[in-house]
Amino acid sequence: MKRTMISLLILIMAAGMLAAGGVQEQAAAADETVVIDLMAKDFSDDWTLAHLAQVEKGFEEYSGKKIKFNVWPTPEGAYAEKLNLMLLSGEIPDLIYFQGGDETAAAQGILTDLKPFVDNSEIMQEVLLDFNKQRLENYPYLLWVAPARARVAVVREDWFAEAGGKVPVTVDDFYQLFKEIKANHPDAWVMTDTEGTVRMDFTFDHAFGLTATWVEENGSYVYRDVSQGAKDKLAFYQKLYAEGILDHEYITTKWDTMEDKLYTGTVGLVYGTSGIVLDIYNDKLEENQGVSLVALPPAKGVGQGYAVSSAKETRGWAISSISDKKELVFEVLEYLATDEGQFLERYGLEGIHYVLEGDEVVLTDDSANWWPRFHEVMGWKGPTPVLGPAGQAGWDFVGEYAVGDPDFPIPEELSPTWDALQNLAKEYSYKIISGEYSIDKFDEFVKQWYALGGDKVTAYANERLN
Amino acid sequence: MKDRKVWKKRLYKDRFLYMMLAPVLAFFFIWHYIPMWGARIAFQDIRYIGDNVWVGFKHFRLLFSSPVFTRVFFNTIIISAMKIGFFFPLPILLAFMINEVRSRPFRKALQSVIYIPHFLSWVVISGIFISLLSSPGGAVNQVILFFGGKPVPFMTSSSHIRWVFVASEIWRSIGWDSILYIAAINSIALELYDAATVDGASRFQQALRITLPSIMPTVITVFILNLGFFMNAGFDQVFNMMNDAVINHVDIIDTYVYRIGLQKGNFSLGTAAGLFKGVIGLFLILSTDRISRKISGEGVW
Repeated sequence: MKRTMISLLILIMAAGMLAAGGVQEQAAAADETVVIDLMAKDFSDDWTLAHLAQVEKGFEEYSGKKIKFNVWPTPEGAYAEKLNLMLLSGEIPDLIYFQGGDETAAAQGILTDLKPFVDNSEIMQEVLLDFNKQRLENYPYLLWVAPARARVAVVREDWFAEAGGKVPVTVDDFYQLFKEIKANHPDAWVMTDTEGTVRMDFTFDHAFGLTATWVEENGSYVYRDVSQGAKDKLAFYQKLYAEGILDHEYITTKWDTMEDKLYTGTVGLVYGTSGIVLDIYNDKLEENQGVSLVALPPAKGVGQGYAVSSAKETRGWAISSISDKKELVFEVLEYLATDEGQFLERYGLEGIHYVLEGDEVVLTDDSANWWPRFHEVMGWKGPTPVLGPAGQAGWDFVGEYAVGDPDFPIPEELSPTWDALQNLAKEYSYKIISGEYSIDKFDEFVKQWYALGGDKVTAYANERLN
Repeated sequence: MKDRKVWKKRLYKDRFLYMMLAPVLAFFFIWHYIPMWGARIAFQDIRYIGDNVWVGFKHFRLLFSSPVFTRVFFNTIIISAMKIGFFFPLPILLAFMINEVRSRPFRKALQSVIYIPHFLSWVVISGIFISLLSSPGGAVNQVILFFGGKPVPFMTSSSHIRWVFVASEIWRSIGWDSILYIAAINSIALELYDAATVDGASRFQQALRITLPSIMPTVITVFILNLGFFMNAGFDQVFNMMNDAVINHVDIIDTYVYRIGLQKGNFSLGTAAGLFKGVIGLFLILSTDRISRKISGEGVW
């Protein structure tokens, strides 16, 4: 009797659930709302969900089509790794944000080739920058509408003014500025970097002739870290380190410690991602020290510019190749790059991040905590500037000085060798800069680099680039 | 027939004990045995859609083909050996010392304090150690400078960084790892100590003649089981504390595989590395168990 009752209950519940599912499907079909499954990093907070709701509404007004984002929960842990594990289970959302780990998915054909979509899109052709288009040529699976992620030098305005306030142009000008600042603030470091010299390289690489990942020397391509320009640059950095200009702890400094050093006056100059990041540094410095930041251009020497890799996007949006709504998903991405879409993306939520006073957009204090969730179109101009002076100056420099770097992805069979070569270069770089090795050791490093497999990778590079 | 009846009777008699054991067995079966089937992806190229493709030893070849694999392999062995060699005896020593503390409230408080670091993540611990040991601004170097010494590059010198790993491992785990030994010491019959006291044995003699021999089976078992994890030199710790200056001296199999495999979504390579480490661990457990049985008569099983 008991068993019969339990069986009946289960049957009733199952029938009920089936019926409910059917009703829901019918309802969805009736109002023609298309559900877009979406997987992205940090998309589950209230602000983002409210933003997605306003994008759904905006898209309906723009296209007359009803959509509903279904945000998949992000697994705990490293996003790239967990995302791939989730994809491995066979669950593939329509729209996926990648921040690394996308090559395997692309190689297996689960990501849509976006090139035909972009080629046929007037909006995308207008908003994508040259380097974005070049990256799509090399790797057509990730779409990322944003300015180049170049790191721009920013210095405290008071220390800058004390040192003469003249914007440096050449490497020597920079050195003179650094020396002045050091003389005025002997107990502080002039500048720092995070776990290497990647950030400051943006300012100095071109000046030392390191205008691309593979530079021409004697008629063939050599890797920039083993070129003459790299030797000259390391000698310059060594001088900065020896004179107490470059923070002696830069190698163990993480990004949060770097910011802390700026806000506490331990350093006066850092290198930050152009745009909103520089505004954040500026706001926090004003809060802590009562002074603003001044952005500096890249140093001029052999060349002047920020190298922007053309290999592939390192992050971006992908559309599942098994999705049956690819066109619609791309249309949504297009919409987000339009003036209407950018208004929502850049200003955030009305009443929270901005208020409308007539036609005027007035930003609130919370606007500093808002960032575009999909696209950041560089050329878009809203009624009220979104960026502050530091962020805008950074963008202007990137717009003026970004130079394409005809880089390419390293093939899988060479990746262990490439990893070993990178580590060798990093170790020698630090030891030379810190003075543990003299600059003469650079030639020994170059020999080791080629012996470790650099010759194979160089041969491959020359094959690719010639 | 009779044996079966006896077996059933015993089963019924101890049914509650078996019921208590069942969740543990289920746990190990679900989380430790079923996943073993997944280890086959070390021999396959995984496919997001459709069946995986059998590729034999391809991922092992990729793992071993790096020009730095030998160095990474020996870094793993050196860091593990240093940790086991210098760390392993310390929790035993600590357990002895705690056992000698007479005041019960003080002992409890002491135990609580030394367990706390175990609950901190390596991200936090590495932040603490980097702040303490940076050169020249770290607290330790400030003290050295105060006394007229020269700053020591603890975090960026290849000769110091491995000792930083050992020291931070000790700081984090000495308290927690002593729990097992404290429990083993507490299970020793008090009559043995009473008899030794009557015979005039000092506290030190009691520790040496009664406590140490009594906990020796526990020590041997823990040591052999630790060897099973010999190739796990501590990914979280190394990953968070390494930097460019020392990367070639502290890069271990796990960090290497993370960079060239897992970050790119190549889970087969990660599994191949795990399998390789597992085989070495199993060999170490079996061989140490056999050696231990021959020398002391004690083993894991």
